[in-house]
Amino acid sequence: MPNNQPPIPNPPRAITTKDILYIKDALSWELLTFKKFHFMANQIQNPQFKEALNKAGQMHQNHYQRLLTHLQVDNNTALANLPNTQQQQQQ
Amino acid sequence: MSNQQSQNSNQIANPQTGELPKVKTPDMNDRDFLNDALSTCKYLTDSLNIAVREASHEQLFTDVLQILTETHQSCRELYNLMFQHGWYKLEAEEQQKLDQAFKQFNNYSSQFPY
Repeated sequence: MPNNQPPIPNPPRAITTKDILYIKDALSWELLTFKKFHFMANQIQNPQFKEALNKAGQMHQNHYQRLLTHLQVDNNTALANLPNTQQQQQQ
Repeated sequence: MSNQQSQNSNQIANPQTGELPKVKTPDMNDRDFLNDALSTCKYLTDSLNIAVREASHEQLFTDVLQILTETHQSCRELYNLMFQHGWYKLEAEEQQKLDQAFKQFNNYSSQFPY
């Protein structure tokens, strides 16, 4: 890090190497969960339980969609907006 | 999820509503499915909690935190449903032990710096 770099107040809206690992993991958990809940809702006898499981399943599918939006980002733009990211050659 | 039968008046439970098969078989029944769903839910809250903690920027943090909160709420609804159907037996602690614990920790106020 050059020490003449201007400070970065907050982490930019870029997805980091670590973020993507967690997002991919979370997407997999959610997908498995709503598939499972859908399956269970079809197996289960009691209509009240069926409804509860489908409701939860829909929620997890919605969570999947919301997580997915975090992969639709443009890291280049986020990085370009950092203060003074022009390739400063160190003296 | 242990259902310890304890024969005292402190038990808090609903009668088991008879929607389970009379004869136990290796097949999954409704109660098994709900237990499995709740386990899955608990696993998700644990895992999402770590993801929240590790999020780099604010927007990601906020979104995953909200997903975590909604997941907790959903687990809670499953638990309530199971309680309503008599699959959770709670036991109230003896009043004496409760009072004792309150007294003990209330006395620690001498250690409060603020």
